Amino acid sequence: MGQWDGGTVGQWTVIRVVAVAVTAVCAVGVARAQDTAQDRGVRIGITYAPGTRPALVVVPSARPLLDSVATIVARDLDHSDRFEMVRAPAALVDTADLRLTAALGAQFVVQVRLAGSGPELVLRDGRSGDVLLRRSIGTTDADLLRWSAHAAADEVVRTVTGQAGVASTSLLFVRNGRLWRVEADGHGLRRVPSAGFPSLSPAWSRDGRRIAYTAFVRSGMPIVIQDLVTGAREVVPTTERGLNITPAWSPDGRRLAFAHGTEAGTDIYVHEVGGGVQRLTVGRFSDNLSPTWSPDGSRIAFISTRARTPQLYVMNSDGTDQEVLARFDFGATGATSAPEWSPDGQAVAFHREVNGEPQIFVFDFGTRALRQLTGSGRNEDPTWAPDGRHIAFVSSRGGARNIWVVDLETGRLRQLTTGGGARLPAWSPRLTRN
Amino acid sequence: MRLPRTLMLVWSALAAAACSSNPRPQAATPAVDSAAIRARADSIAALARADSVARARADSVARARASADSLARALEAARADSVRAQVLRDSAETAPPASAGLDPAREAVLAQPVYFAFDRFDLSPETQRLLDQKLEILRAFPRLMILIEGHCDERGSDEYNIALGNRRAAAVKRYLVEHGIAEDRIEIVSYGEERPAVAESNEEAWARNRRAEFRITRGVA
Repeated sequence: MGQWDGGTVGQWTVIRVVAVAVTAVCAVGVARAQDTAQDRGVRIGITYAPGTRPALVVVPSARPLLDSVATIVARDLDHSDRFEMVRAPAALVDTADLRLTAALGAQFVVQVRLAGSGPELVLRDGRSGDVLLRRSIGTTDADLLRWSAHAAADEVVRTVTGQAGVASTSLLFVRNGRLWRVEADGHGLRRVPSAGFPSLSPAWSRDGRRIAYTAFVRSGMPIVIQDLVTGAREVVPTTERGLNITPAWSPDGRRLAFAHGTEAGTDIYVHEVGGGVQRLTVGRFSDNLSPTWSPDGSRIAFISTRARTPQLYVMNSDGTDQEVLARFDFGATGATSAPEWSPDGQAVAFHREVNGEPQIFVFDFGTRALRQLTGSGRNEDPTWAPDGRHIAFVSSRGGARNIWVVDLETGRLRQLTTGGGARLPAWSPRLTRN
Repeated sequence: MRLPRTLMLVWSALAAAACSSNPRPQAATPAVDSAAIRARADSIAALARADSVARARADSVARARASADSLARALEAARADSVRAQVLRDSAETAPPASAGLDPAREAVLAQPVYFAFDRFDLSPETQRLLDQKLEILRAFPRLMILIEGHCDERGSDEYNIALGNRRAAAVKRYLVEHGIAEDRIEIVSYGEERPAVAESNEEAWARNRRAEFRITRGVA
């Protein structure tokens, strides 16, 4: 359980996935590292040079409200994989004593304390004591409290690293044919009322306000667009007929790509929101599905059976210049599915059958090489966090199918959901409110 | 198309009449000629009558077809409306089984699933034999309409399996249509791996889950 499968990495060219040079060295070093279970997550072999991550301590509080916020923030910062989290000693309760934090080696100190109108988070330089960030925490309800804490944690990450964290995000997924959402730290699990049974393949709009999914209803399989705030639903024009699957929003939110199937096969179409529908592929004897947009909206990667076994292709978003994306050996390379373009545009994650079981791969545009991320059990349906360094995927490690999150830079792996039956996760953009 | 053909028939009948009198224009007696012409005229009239009946019939067929088309369009629009209405609701629904009005033996034959090899949608000889039995029933009861559901085992990606299930249902439908069943009597749907017949993970379960199922959507009566 919880094994980070680096063992098969050697048979592929190991490459850098995201634009941080240090990982190139790290990834090669990933090799069957042993896990050390901690909390809900699983630590795997250290693949970053010790000391390259700043040490940070979160000050505990004797007040339950403040302490629960501090706990949420500490967990978020830990999950950001950007810090060496320093365990706070009892003496540090409700104090950001500089001598103590310096003795702990903490470069950064986070404290949640009461300000005039309510709790606030303060980030200090652990040596100078300078205040680097001050942010108030909303407390009118439990949801807002948690969400404010996530947003504050993301700001801490931004202040220290220059890039915001991804704590204020949620993942949609399918369980028992229904849509569910869970916050990126594994809390706040709840149903999203949806049409049809099953509802499949949820996809976020880039503003996080709308989702699209396939609804199996009595007399069809339409693509439904649903407003998460109002709950309003509409059927994408032309999807009242035939099978309609794998919706994907364009980055500008104005277009929705999906696969439409008839008795002749399945092809990719693009619906202009509020407008018409355009067909992009014409595969009379093949199925074309699972479109995913490049972040600039100019390209679409997708799966096609034009070479019999499903493989990964790419085309312009008007359907021209269709070509193989990830090289494959005809008749030898396993079925490839579920591509998702990374937020930085540099890579596409997908899963591919290896010895009869799906494994997560990342294709890098810079080197045109593949990196295999998993190697044991079934690992499928990868989805990128908005920071471009975390990927969530469904894994059968541990028995039941649950969602796990891997950090591509450290190789650290944690389990997001429990209870099994999770499928088809979709990581949201950063959200202002759950 | 109908009118030109009528004209052709009339013209060719007249031409035939003219030609047959041509070889002996001088020798022909008026009585014989008039009798022959009358006979020709009668046959032309008969042809014209037959053709007008045919034309009327064709017109009525065309009208029927047009109304069938508009009916199909109306049905399609109603179906699209119903899809949109169903999307507004949250709850899951399963189709109520249509009352088939078939005897249990035939109903069982019709309902018998057919199976597929892994990641394939071609029809085995055994599958074709089972489909031939269904063909007899579909031919005997021309009002019967069916829904073919394509299903997959749990291997392969969830989304690809929906496309594969669709291929399976389409392959079965194609076989039935190629053997004379009207296309509009058969609908298809794919459930991918969403509705396994056997909820287990082994070869035997997978083999039973790679299937097409048959549901009656309109009974015999």
